[in-house]
Amino acid sequence: MLKLNKDSVLGTFAVIISFCLVCSVLVSMAVVALNPFKAAAIADDRQKNIIKVSGFEVEGKLADTYKKHIEAHLIDVATGEIADEGFTEEQRDAYNFQSLAKKPDSSVPIPKDQDLAGILRHSKLMPVYFSKDDEGNVVRVILPFYGQGLWSTCYGYLALDPADGNTIEGITFYDHGETPGLGGEIENPRWQQQWVNKKFDDEEGNYKFRILKNPDTTGPGKDFEVDALSGATLTTNGVDHFTHYWFGDAYKPFLAKLRNGEIINHE
Amino acid sequence: MSDNVKIPGARESLLTPIIANNPIMVQVLGICSSLAVTSSMKTAFVMGLSVTAVTAISNIAVSYVRSLIPSSVRIIAQMTIIASLVILVDQLLRAFAYDLSKQLSVYVGLIITNCIVMGRTEGFALKYPPLQSLMDGLGNGLGYMLVLCIVATIREIFGSGTWFGLTVLPTVNNGGWYVPCGLMVMPPCAFFLVGGLIWLVKTFKKDLQEPREYDTHREDY
Repeated sequence: MLKLNKDSVLGTFAVIISFCLVCSVLVSMAVVALNPFKAAAIADDRQKNIIKVSGFEVEGKLADTYKKHIEAHLIDVATGEIADEGFTEEQRDAYNFQSLAKKPDSSVPIPKDQDLAGILRHSKLMPVYFSKDDEGNVVRVILPFYGQGLWSTCYGYLALDPADGNTIEGITFYDHGETPGLGGEIENPRWQQQWVNKKFDDEEGNYKFRILKNPDTTGPGKDFEVDALSGATLTTNGVDHFTHYWFGDAYKPFLAKLRNGEIINHE
Repeated sequence: MSDNVKIPGARESLLTPIIANNPIMVQVLGICSSLAVTSSMKTAFVMGLSVTAVTAISNIAVSYVRSLIPSSVRIIAQMTIIASLVILVDQLLRAFAYDLSKQLSVYVGLIITNCIVMGRTEGFALKYPPLQSLMDGLGNGLGYMLVLCIVATIREIFGSGTWFGLTVLPTVNNGGWYVPCGLMVMPPCAFFLVGGLIWLVKTFKKDLQEPREYDTHREDY
C-alpha cells in the first residue's frame, strides 16, 4: 500500500475527499431508501389535516375514516366546474397541485397585479374535498389554499359551509417554514379557532374578510375580522393576502356555483 | 499521545457524564436546544434520543478513524461525520415520526451545531479507543436527555397541565381548575430551570464548586 503522510497537503486532501465520499454515499442511500416511508408519512399527514377540518373525528384507522367521510373531486379553477373526467378516485384525491403548478401545460400564470398570494402560477385544476356524514349529505366543502408567508409558502385547507359557500368552518396549515413561536403560530389551534364562523363576503357579495390588529368584535366587522398574530405581522399579512387571493378571486367561479346549488344538489 | 495517559474505563466513561460531568449542568453545553424543545415532554424525549444516538455513533466513528484524521482539518472531518449522522436521524424521524419531526422543525438539523456532539468528539473520541468513546457518547447523550426531561416535566406539567400529553392538572380551558403558568411555555423559563438545576447539583456536589475569583474579606484589598 502507498505510504502517504496524512499530514501532508496531498494526504489531507485524500483523507477528506474519501471521508466526504463515504459519508455522501451513506446519506444518499439512506435518503433514497426512506423515500417511500416519507411519502406515506406525508400522505397520512394530508389525510389527517383534511379530517381535522372535516368536522369528523378519526374513529379506528385514519385511512378508514378518511374513506368513509371524504370524497375528492377536481374543479376547473377558471370556470368553477367539476372536472373529474379522466381521473380515478385515487388520482383526484392525491392531485399534486403543487408540482403541477410549475408545469406550463397544466398551469396558468397569474397576472402580476392580481398575484396577491405571490405564487406566480397556479394549477388549472384544483382538488376539492366533500366531507360527508353517514347519510351521504355534504356537510363541509374543503378547499386547499396556499401562498407566501414571510419565509416560505404556507399550505393549508379551509372548510366552508356548503349551504352558503361563504361561512368558514375550519382551517388548518399542513406545511410551512415560518419561525417557530412567531409566524409558526399559524398552526396554533386557538388562533385557527378564531376563523370559525367568519364569512368571506357580505350580503352584497363584496369580499370583506381580513386579518388585522384589533379586529372589530362588536360592530359591523365582527363577522369578517380575525385578530392577527402578534410578533408575526409579515406572516399574517401573507396569510391575509393569499386567503384573499384564493377566496376573493381564484375560487370565485366555483364559490358562485356552490352558492347557486350547481355543485351539490340539496334534496 | 504519550503512553502514560490514563484511559478511563468503559463504565466510568458512561456514568460520569450523567451527573458528575453532566454536559448541560456542569459543562454548560447545548443550552440553546434545551431551551427550545423542552416545552413538552414528547419533543424533549425524542430530541434527547436523537442527540444520544448522534453523540454515541459520531464518537465511535471518530474514534475508529482518529489515527487517519489529519490534525489540520480535524474539525472539518468531525463535522462531516456528525452532519451525515444528523441528516440520517432527521430522515428517520421524517419517515417514522412525521408529526414530531414537524414539531422539532429546525432543531433536529441544529444538532449539528450542538456543542455537546462536537465537544465530545474533539475532547474525547480523538484520544480514546472506540469502546470508551461509545460509552462516553452514550453517557453524555443520556446526561443531556436527563436534564431535558427534568426541565420538560416541570414545564409541561405547570405550563400545559399535562405530561407526555396525559392530563395531570386539568386546566381551566378544558373545564378543570388549574390556571396554566404562561411563563412555563416560554423558552426563557427553561433558563431559570436549568440555572436552578446547576445550583442544586453544585450544592450537593461540593467538588464542582469553583474557587472564588476574589474575596472581599481579604486583607490586601
